[in-house]
Amino acid sequence: MKRAGKLCFVWLLMILSTTGCWNLREPDQLAYVLGTGLDLTKDGQLQISIQIVIPSGVDGGQESGGGTKEKSFRVISATGKNVYDTVPSFQAQLSRSLFLGHRRIILIGQRLAEHGIGNLLDEFIRNPQSELRSRIYVVKNGQAKDILSAEPIFEPFTPTELVRQQATLGLKRYYFRDFLSDALSQGLQPMVPTVRLTDSKQFVYSGTAVFNKDEGLKLVGFLNSKESNYAYWITNRQTTFTITSIVKQGNGNVSLKLRSLDRRIRVKMIDKQIQIDVHLTGEGTILENNTNLDPTKRKDLNIIQEELSQTTQKSIQKMIKKVQEQYKTDIFGFGESVHRKYPYQWKTLKQDWNDTFPELDISVKVELQSKDPGETTSSIKSIP
Amino acid sequence: MERLGKSHLKNKLETNINQSFENSSSNISKNIAENEQFLKNMFQNCSDIIFREIMIHGETKLLLIHVDGMINTDIITSNVLKPLMYGGLPQGLGTIDSIAQMFEQEVFSVLPIKKLSNYGDIVDHILKGNAAILADGEDVALLADVSKFKTRAIEEPYNEAVIRGPKEGFTEQLRINTTMLRRIVATPKLKLESLKVGKLTRTDVVIAYIEGIVSLSVLNEVRKRINQIKIDAIIESGYIEESIEDTHLSPFPQMDVTERPDIVAAKLVKGKVAILVNGSPCALVVPMTFLEGLQAPDDYYERFLFVSFIRCIRYLLVFLSVVFPSIYIALTTFHPEMVPQELMITIASLREKTPLPTVIEVFMMEFMFEGLREAGIRLPKQIGPLVSIVGALIIGEAAVNAGIISAPIVIVVSIAGICSFIIPRLRSGYPFRMLSFPLLILSGTFGLFGLAIGIIAILIHLVQLSPFGTPYLTPVAPLITHRLKDLFIRWPRKRAIYTGPDNEADQP
Repeated sequence: MKRAGKLCFVWLLMILSTTGCWNLREPDQLAYVLGTGLDLTKDGQLQISIQIVIPSGVDGGQESGGGTKEKSFRVISATGKNVYDTVPSFQAQLSRSLFLGHRRIILIGQRLAEHGIGNLLDEFIRNPQSELRSRIYVVKNGQAKDILSAEPIFEPFTPTELVRQQATLGLKRYYFRDFLSDALSQGLQPMVPTVRLTDSKQFVYSGTAVFNKDEGLKLVGFLNSKESNYAYWITNRQTTFTITSIVKQGNGNVSLKLRSLDRRIRVKMIDKQIQIDVHLTGEGTILENNTNLDPTKRKDLNIIQEELSQTTQKSIQKMIKKVQEQYKTDIFGFGESVHRKYPYQWKTLKQDWNDTFPELDISVKVELQSKDPGETTSSIKSIP
Repeated sequence: MERLGKSHLKNKLETNINQSFENSSSNISKNIAENEQFLKNMFQNCSDIIFREIMIHGETKLLLIHVDGMINTDIITSNVLKPLMYGGLPQGLGTIDSIAQMFEQEVFSVLPIKKLSNYGDIVDHILKGNAAILADGEDVALLADVSKFKTRAIEEPYNEAVIRGPKEGFTEQLRINTTMLRRIVATPKLKLESLKVGKLTRTDVVIAYIEGIVSLSVLNEVRKRINQIKIDAIIESGYIEESIEDTHLSPFPQMDVTERPDIVAAKLVKGKVAILVNGSPCALVVPMTFLEGLQAPDDYYERFLFVSFIRCIRYLLVFLSVVFPSIYIALTTFHPEMVPQELMITIASLREKTPLPTVIEVFMMEFMFEGLREAGIRLPKQIGPLVSIVGALIIGEAAVNAGIISAPIVIVVSIAGICSFIIPRLRSGYPFRMLSFPLLILSGTFGLFGLAIGIIAILIHLVQLSPFGTPYLTPVAPLITHRLKDLFIRWPRKRAIYTGPDNEADQP
């Protein structure tokens, strides 16, 4: 028994000496931040907006009903020299302490993105409270604050809605920490999903923002949603998307929903000339067929697959050309593939990879397969 | 002064007890009148002791002593009184020995009979339901076991109900209990060592074990500890348990207590020692291990797949019953980032209106829950349901609607409560009920860190415990690999071969 007493004493000592863990915070002492928006004001100051939850406005599953319903969130803003400089100003407006552990989203306004966000990232990594599993978005043609203030449709909060939308769109999870690792790795440029606000104050997913990390993480341009589907396919960040294309031989168009997307990047070096083969495969289901072809027949199906593959291949080639010539940043991570294949040559190549990338000889091969013709045979239109 | 008075009284009492036993250690004399006087003195004011004098042919005087209501009067009348009074003593038997022989051979031929000469032994036997016959001129008394008294019938044990398995339970009668054991384990290797414990009550205690299987060190330890018991009264087997258990300061039971003979038999076969006490339907089985307390007898009777499934669920829920409220407190008040965001916001919104801190809320609810549970046990059956109505309505509904207690806490406490009901042996649940409170305080002050410290402390304690030399966590720590087959899953027993070699074709 004496031993147990001694042990108790030791535990007590341990507990007393580790009171650094003392951080009791009742749920009603916290202001949950669900989204952070970073903007550059017109006079060049950093403005940060946060969306905080108002718990009494959230319908807890009981009562409420009649009467005026409280809003479930509020957006407040503050300006500062750097990211954490705004926190005291936030705290001055709130009776509860900020809690970042449930931040779902980080939004970056277009003006700030063009200005470069390289020197703003430190706080997000350094602050132990910071949640690195937030998703990141660039706001096209607008301010992050406006997206946070937009009224969500289903969820009580905009950030949760944006996060869920990514899954519905077939995008793989891309956390802020993935963005950081992309921004800090070699031979790969980050690309970030984009959202914009319509005139009716609704947010819409609208493709991808392309960054150039070698110049302070500056936004260099956008890809529209179709182009970004292809770009994500090459970088293996897309799980599913739909291709709609005209099939000339069938005199109509076909929609193919792709499910199992795969990619293979081969690097060859012939006389110091790097050649990259991108081989993309996808399997899917035909969901709409307005041609006079019958996809249940092998011959017709081959025609559809062939034509779809060809047109997709052309679009992808066009997209790659655009990135190579216009943006000059290697968002596809071809540099990494080269690094893996030729680690010794990469040492010399990596210095001016940004100059090498636009000159790269990239060939694309797309193979689409339809595993399922859908619920019917030939199109209703073609039945006399 | 008061202390002195008390100790004085105690001394006096002890000397009284000792005196009566000192006297009783002497032998009876040949003079029957002297014997009668001595015994009557001893049974002074005992209105239930019957002294019956019988004169045979006006010559030999016999004295019949028994406890009223404890003997079978039919046998006494037809087998003792009638032959003696009407038949009388055969002529020509002069010697004392012959009378005793006559009793044994002729009169009590059907009964177990003993010849005793010590007062103490005689009194013991009389009080256990024997009839004593003393004859004039003899310094030996005959004691015939003709005990017969009302006992409770064999019933199904209420506290250890099974879906499948024998439905009979021990009674208060030691003999009946040993009979039940003997019927299950019909082998001469089942030994039932008899002892008397308690200065005043002289309670019969039986140590049961199976020779050749039992661990001798445990058996010797049990013998030693029971012999060392110095206690006046044994009312229930709990008195024995408390006198021989390793430590009183552990919340965990160190002896298996059961009312089911099948459990005792199964454990005897596994080499354990059982202690049966007269007057108690609860047998003690030693040594006990932690996991035995979480196993139900059905586990061994039902098919193994289902049993294994149920066992996994049981272990998980037992763990939850201890830590679930603590985890809730730790996560919501110390580590809100560990709760999924949607859930955390919902909890926060439900907690918005409640005025008390989470720890206090959970503490209050757990407190009330324990109160409700205890109230439910003692109440008569007619008003028992009232407790649940009051509990569910007042605490569950009204407190939440009034905004005093938040809804998640009612859910958490109810879940923990339901989890604690899953423990098949009521008794094994006691430590978990107790321990959840210190864990609540720890996690309410130090979060998950405190909870971890608490659980580690409990584990250290469990590992230290080794009742009767057997480590409490036996198949796990120390690890005994082949016994793990009876831990999360109950490995199926080998199929018995029913047919001989001739009928091999019949085998499936």
